[in-house]
Amino acid sequence: MSFSLNEVEATAKRATRGAGYEWGLAEDAAKATRWLCAHDFDGVALLAGLLDQADRGVHAPAAIDGDWVGEGALCPLRAGCMLSDCAHLLKTQPIVMQRVSVPALLVPFAAQAALQLKQVVSVECNERTICTDGQVVTGTPDWPTMAQSVIISLVGEQLTSSTRQTRATPSLADWDTLNRLAHKTYAPATEESRLLGAGAGLSDND
Amino acid sequence: MDTAAQTTIPRRDPATVMRLSRLGSLHQCRLSFMRQLTRRMAQENWSFSRPVFRVDDNGVGCAVYSAKGPERTYSLVAFAHDLPAEMRSDRVIAEAWDATFALFDGVPSEADIERLSQNVPLQEAGRVSESELSLSRANRSVRLWAHVVDRLAAGQQPDFDQIDKVGYLMRTTAVYGSGKFGAADREKIADRAEVQAPFQAEMLSVFLTRTFVRDLVQHMARAKGGDAAVTLDPAIARRLGIGNSTGLGMAPFIVNHPILFNNWIMVREEAIARVRSVSEATESEAQVFRKMLRRSEISVDRWRSEHPIQVEKLVALKQDLSKLSAHVVTDDLITDHPWDRLMIWAADTLCEEGQELVASLILEPYAELVDGLASCMADSNSAAFAIDGAMDVAELRGLLDESFGWAMELDWDAPENCARAWYVSEEKLEPRMGERFDEPVADYEQPLAPARDAVLAFRSLAGRQGTVAAFLLDHPEHRHTVRRAQMSRVSPYGEIRDNTISAQVLPIDMLRAKLSFFGATHFDPRSDRWVRICMYAGAPYPEDLTSETADLWVYPQEGAA
Repeated sequence: MSFSLNEVEATAKRATRGAGYEWGLAEDAAKATRWLCAHDFDGVALLAGLLDQADRGVHAPAAIDGDWVGEGALCPLRAGCMLSDCAHLLKTQPIVMQRVSVPALLVPFAAQAALQLKQVVSVECNERTICTDGQVVTGTPDWPTMAQSVIISLVGEQLTSSTRQTRATPSLADWDTLNRLAHKTYAPATEESRLLGAGAGLSDND
Repeated sequence: MDTAAQTTIPRRDPATVMRLSRLGSLHQCRLSFMRQLTRRMAQENWSFSRPVFRVDDNGVGCAVYSAKGPERTYSLVAFAHDLPAEMRSDRVIAEAWDATFALFDGVPSEADIERLSQNVPLQEAGRVSESELSLSRANRSVRLWAHVVDRLAAGQQPDFDQIDKVGYLMRTTAVYGSGKFGAADREKIADRAEVQAPFQAEMLSVFLTRTFVRDLVQHMARAKGGDAAVTLDPAIARRLGIGNSTGLGMAPFIVNHPILFNNWIMVREEAIARVRSVSEATESEAQVFRKMLRRSEISVDRWRSEHPIQVEKLVALKQDLSKLSAHVVTDDLITDHPWDRLMIWAADTLCEEGQELVASLILEPYAELVDGLASCMADSNSAAFAIDGAMDVAELRGLLDESFGWAMELDWDAPENCARAWYVSEEKLEPRMGERFDEPVADYEQPLAPARDAVLAFRSLAGRQGTVAAFLLDHPEHRHTVRRAQMSRVSPYGEIRDNTISAQVLPIDMLRAKLSFFGATHFDPRSDRWVRICMYAGAPYPEDLTSETADLWVYPQEGAA
């Protein structure tokens, strides 16, 4: 089944929130997942893979200065948001991250940085590099679910074109994973809420 | 935004405009989405056809209505159902309807119609595709439907009184667009001139739905009365709109889309500022205003509501209209910035309903100053989502204070100031509002209290120096608030300047703000959180759409029965 990118974004946002992230991070995770799907990557699988990790800790870099290292493996959503927030730092030197979970999820945040800087950003991991100017992306994030190091830098390349998708076709299992997590954000219905929550009031059948 | 028009009078202060009570008093205007659509279709000489109408004598079947513009065709695919009375409900919890619809991008093939027939009647439980731009449903007004069918079948026209009491034969209970339930994303159509402005596909869907409903009621009358049946008097048909029941699902929209909502409000405020800056009006411009004022009085006379709040507001609005009519007898409305003088007089004399009616009415004589602004009402600023982490926290504090300074002194722990919590129900996945201290909903709260959250962020910023990025590293819980604050740099009217979780909040104010931009009239709250409206009442049907009929239909004709 194919889904609209709006459905992907809405579901990803609820799932990320349901997995315990703050709302603002959930907003970024949702945009990132949508960006991946629009650029022909399986963003739903990547996000589901991250959120479904039983031993997932949400580790952010301890500091902005120097290499980005966390107490545990870096969460790509926290590190990704920081990368986008700190895009300006790339103008002086590359950003190096140590031990990152699901590093492919960093790519949309690198794209966000590229859009802000109007320059091509490269993400290098396991000797494979992905370049993006925010619109176009080259390479495939065929990376392990845990990267020892990721280097993000500005490059002088010009990118020409890449595949775009207007729909997403995630696997049923990954889509179910996101929906299961999204479900945690829904308040169980009570008789009271059923009547009051949407506003009872006057008859609606006349 | 087009800055060609010189304004000497500034736009109104967001602190004035963005109060909930004022947003809940807005009226339609030249910029309303329905009027934009009908003006464009007339200007571009759109043609309309009904390639399919297969409805049986029980009122069951399907129909297709196509609207052909200069470059593309859009088609409403309508399914009519025989709904048992006990299943008829406007609430989002309903599972069956009198009629269901999809707006198809192009002209549907028989295979498309077959596919849609398997899904559209199911609404949320079905799936549509990238070929569909909207999904909607409607229920009959039981009392008016039966009356009209019976009368027409017996060879008589329906009672004007009955028509006026209800105003529509069917009311839509949801019109879903933008990628919902598998439909095409907004991006698919955002660059098309005819649907670039907000909600144009949805407005087209409702415009065609109204035609279908008229045809269906005539079809049913013929089925019942045979040769004795007559067709509906066109003057009565024109009076009929499409009703709409709108619930809480729409209220969070204006909070969740601060830039889009800003663009609507800012464009209207810019239009008001342009007209206020007119130093001298012509006699004919003054006449247009006077005429639309008289026609507004007729419209307000037909506006009915049983809700105590709206009843009170209508009494006040009618008093305002009396004052306004008396005032414009004594004023030439021509010399010395007439519209600015009128707005100042209104601000001193009228209630918010009356003030906003004046603000909408003064735009009527000035199509050339106002209508071009319509192209600025969509949100194409996706870049504003990114957070500028290099910003100094002092600037962030300033932004928070600018939009939410009024909220800083509020005791946010006091139960009356945080009595409500917005949440999404497990049952229908729709937004609802609950009592924080009486129901187990706080753990599921949606981020729909920007004022409270801004104050929390402001407090966390106390004594802090450095960049926003460093602040967010320590405080990821404020990320959504920081994003909104930075967005406010380009959207000064993006934030509601009121408490959206107070014990006194009226969600109907949020609903009305949005619906007024659709161009809705006759707001009829049915509780504090859902409202009925009428759309397209007075509008021409496709065959009568001309540049003469395309725009001012929202104002009833003087002298009409």
